[in-house]
Amino acid sequence: MSPDDPKLPLFADADETIQAIHQGDIDAIVVTRSLEGPQVILLHGAEEPYRVLVERMSDGALTAGPDGVILYVNDRLCELTGCPSARLVGRDLVSLFEGEPPTLVPEVTAEASLSRNGQHAMPVAVWSRPISIGGTMATLVRLTDLSIHRRAEQIAAAERFARSVLEQATEAVVVLSPDGRITHASWRAEQLAERPPSGCTFSEAFPLEAQSAEGTGTLARFSAENLDAMLATRPFHGVEVKLRGKSNAKSAYLLSAGPLIDDNKATVGSIVTLTDITERKHAEEQQTMMVAELNHRVKNILAIVQSVAAQTMRSSGSLESFSDAFTGRLKALAIAHDVLTETRWIGIGLSELLTAVLAPYRSSDESRVSIVGSAIMLPARAVVPLSMVLHELATNAAKYGALSTRRGNIEITWQVTGDIEKSIELIWQERGGPQVKAKTSTGFGTKLIERVVRHDLDGNAKIDFDPAGVRWRIGFPVGGLAGSHAEAFGSFTA
Amino acid sequence: MTEHEGYNLRLYVAGQTPKSIAAIANLKKICDQHLPGRYEIEIIDLMKDPALAMRHQIVAIPTLIRQLPEPLKRIIGDLSNAEKVLIGLDIRPN
Repeated sequence: MSPDDPKLPLFADADETIQAIHQGDIDAIVVTRSLEGPQVILLHGAEEPYRVLVERMSDGALTAGPDGVILYVNDRLCELTGCPSARLVGRDLVSLFEGEPPTLVPEVTAEASLSRNGQHAMPVAVWSRPISIGGTMATLVRLTDLSIHRRAEQIAAAERFARSVLEQATEAVVVLSPDGRITHASWRAEQLAERPPSGCTFSEAFPLEAQSAEGTGTLARFSAENLDAMLATRPFHGVEVKLRGKSNAKSAYLLSAGPLIDDNKATVGSIVTLTDITERKHAEEQQTMMVAELNHRVKNILAIVQSVAAQTMRSSGSLESFSDAFTGRLKALAIAHDVLTETRWIGIGLSELLTAVLAPYRSSDESRVSIVGSAIMLPARAVVPLSMVLHELATNAAKYGALSTRRGNIEITWQVTGDIEKSIELIWQERGGPQVKAKTSTGFGTKLIERVVRHDLDGNAKIDFDPAGVRWRIGFPVGGLAGSHAEAFGSFTA
Repeated sequence: MTEHEGYNLRLYVAGQTPKSIAAIANLKKICDQHLPGRYEIEIIDLMKDPALAMRHQIVAIPTLIRQLPEPLKRIIGDLSNAEKVLIGLDIRPN
């Protein structure tokens, strides 16, 4: 204790008073009890006054003889040590302490560790003064419980620590007292709360939306009161909730609660956090959608492949011809998918698709297959069907038509009609090749083209066996979806 | 009575206890003998109003407080030892 400690003067007076009592100089004392205020107590007898005074001290006190033997202990000291006076009187003073016993220097306060029966040692301040009892020199020793002070300091330090943690928290964190009222809130929690959170129950500060059965059904079963009681007493791990409150309309949160435990392992409240998972949920939803979409597309492809295989098989006389035809078609499918992947399945311009699918036939001479028309975006769903159609057209041209001779060529043109609901009218004109008669060509290829255009492109396809060369007219809508993608860049020649 | 020389004394007692009575009597005797005409005594009965003890932090009764001249001085006891009282109050014996 520092010399400035305000308690010191009172110690000195107490000592003086004890002396005065011993010398028989006084016959009354003033005692102050916190609730009742000062009271005068009359003393009788010689030893009695001393005992009364020491008894009424709030510190532990004892008298030790010149050889260090304990002669007398007050009740408070018995409380502090956990031993009855019979067990203390007669012992050596030093035996009361754990570790280094204090060196007693008159009127100097030392610190020591007081042994306690069945508990941890208690830090104490030790003050002593020689006194005379009936002529014999003895020592009055007073022991003050420092643990209370230490505990108060620890509590204050812990409080400061807790506050700074809360202040740093980027999430909404609140501390609830055992009766479910908010005692501390982080900055973010104060922002989210419907009203200043201090003193409110959790539900008052953060009203939750009643949840639907899908996802977070657990919470729906509890009323606000029950929720408050549960949060104060039971751990929750990551329950998804939505805050009811106009400003929080779109945000989803993860509600977690855990008990706050003190040194004695007792639950003294709970800590509740609300973690903003809006972004995460959004990402999850996107993910789910993507997976579903992917699944859908894969199924689509498999269905197409299956259908192509089945139909190729029906029109193929031999395994070899099946193999050739099937492989050709699969390749076209693969190209179509490559194209789609490159544009991340958004779609592709008609011109680019034509260029990609017909590349094998234009490799040595681009003018063999001319592609002319205005820029128009095809929706993703049209890419595969149109690719298949183009493949068939090209294959047929290569087998029987313009691409089967060196002089032949193909002219592809198209028109875009309509405003919001656009349509493409594409013309495939073969020239310079051998004359193709209707009979030769109404094979599977023609059927495939007609079927795909009708079913998969919602359009129509018509073949014309012009003596100059085969002409296909293919018309199909590019729909509302494509409307948003369609851009007019102006005429485009590839 | 000049400020410089006057003694202002306050005696805290507890009703009619033997030592309270003795202190009152002894104090009067000492003052009459050694501070004639230069003293003022106030008797405070703490039995009547214990709260008054707080003013001078009185624990033991009787206690004599010299308020003037400064500094404050305190003597505990029934004041039966006149010599001690004189020394304690810093009074030159008459």
